[in-house]
Amino acid sequence: MDRNMKILVVDDFSTMRRIIKNLLKELGFTNLEEADDGQTALPLLRQGNFDFLVTDWNMPGMTGIDLLRAVRADPNLASLPVLMVTAEAKREQIVLAAQEGVNGYIVKPFNGATLKEKIEKIFERVES
Amino acid sequence: MTQVQEQDFQPVVGREKRLADARALVEAIENEDSSSEAQLIGELTAAYSGNIFDEVGRMTREVHDTLKSFAEDERLGALAEDEMPDARDRLRYVITLTEQAATRTLTVTEEATPTAEQIVERSQRLKGELAKVAASEADNARLGGVVESMTRYLDSTTRCGERLKGQFTEIMMAQEFQDLSGQLLMRVIDLLEQLEEKLVGLLQITAPVRSAKAEDGKSAPAERSEDGVGPQLPGAGDNVVKNQDDVDDLLASLGF
Repeated sequence: MDRNMKILVVDDFSTMRRIIKNLLKELGFTNLEEADDGQTALPLLRQGNFDFLVTDWNMPGMTGIDLLRAVRADPNLASLPVLMVTAEAKREQIVLAAQEGVNGYIVKPFNGATLKEKIEKIFERVES
Repeated sequence: MTQVQEQDFQPVVGREKRLADARALVEAIENEDSSSEAQLIGELTAAYSGNIFDEVGRMTREVHDTLKSFAEDERLGALAEDEMPDARDRLRYVITLTEQAATRTLTVTEEATPTAEQIVERSQRLKGELAKVAASEADNARLGGVVESMTRYLDSTTRCGERLKGQFTEIMMAQEFQDLSGQLLMRVIDLLEQLEEKLVGLLQITAPVRSAKAEDGKSAPAERSEDGVGPQLPGAGDNVVKNQDDVDDLLASLGF
């Protein structure tokens, strides 16, 4: 896994963006950018050469699930690994996210160890 | 509104007359006299239906009176126009306050973490330098003793630094509450907004003269998982995963 990969963190709560960014820094990732919902994230993704997307679900403007759909529908972004970190905990939602092509799903509240484990798993699969 | 009690359904016709009608009805059925039968059934029902109409009339008056008192109730107007928006503002303020507190805490942990890292790194470096000195002065027993106790001290300092780093991470993670509580509060604010709209709508219908603010009348959206429904409360039912293990099991069952 490339520690220099470019990661976009999307969450409408600045507190959560900061927590996720700090955790990612602790894991050795330093190339981090952030956006506060799908609408601001999508243009960044389209022009930014991102390697990984970490997104919340419930956001004003454009939700995380719609962002995931937009990413999968865009030929240039379709293969971008996407990890959802969200408080959305209904089974039907997790199933929906899986159907829409999410690569990992973490339910808040979570911890750094879970984040590390899921990221490693995602890139193990992507790289194999 | 009062519920219609069963005893309100007392027939308007006397007991003797009803008994006589009932006996005559039995007789008519026995004699297969269908025209008398129909007439008697009609009379018996009429004994009760008069009361039903009275009851409907009474209920209608009650509805009217209730709506009238509703429209005249100043308290409701104040509730819809001032107190509910005020309650929303207060909840928004709670979100702002928790955000400020979380941000402050995050700033401090972000500053403190590198300090802890420096303690670890400098202790280790100093330990290495001391080891070199001790090696070059191997015949100096007193120096050897000092280096040994300093090395022990530096090792414990390293462990303290590592522990501090972990504790700062814990403090940082605890700030997650701001996101979760904020999402929950935002849903309550939404609910208040919808209630307020409905109340204003009702007040407008019952008292068209009353000034109303919310006129866009957008209907309350039903909760859709697609839009995200926010954090679940403890004990929210089987449809909700309880922890990350549940999430992993569910995804594993989908082939993840």
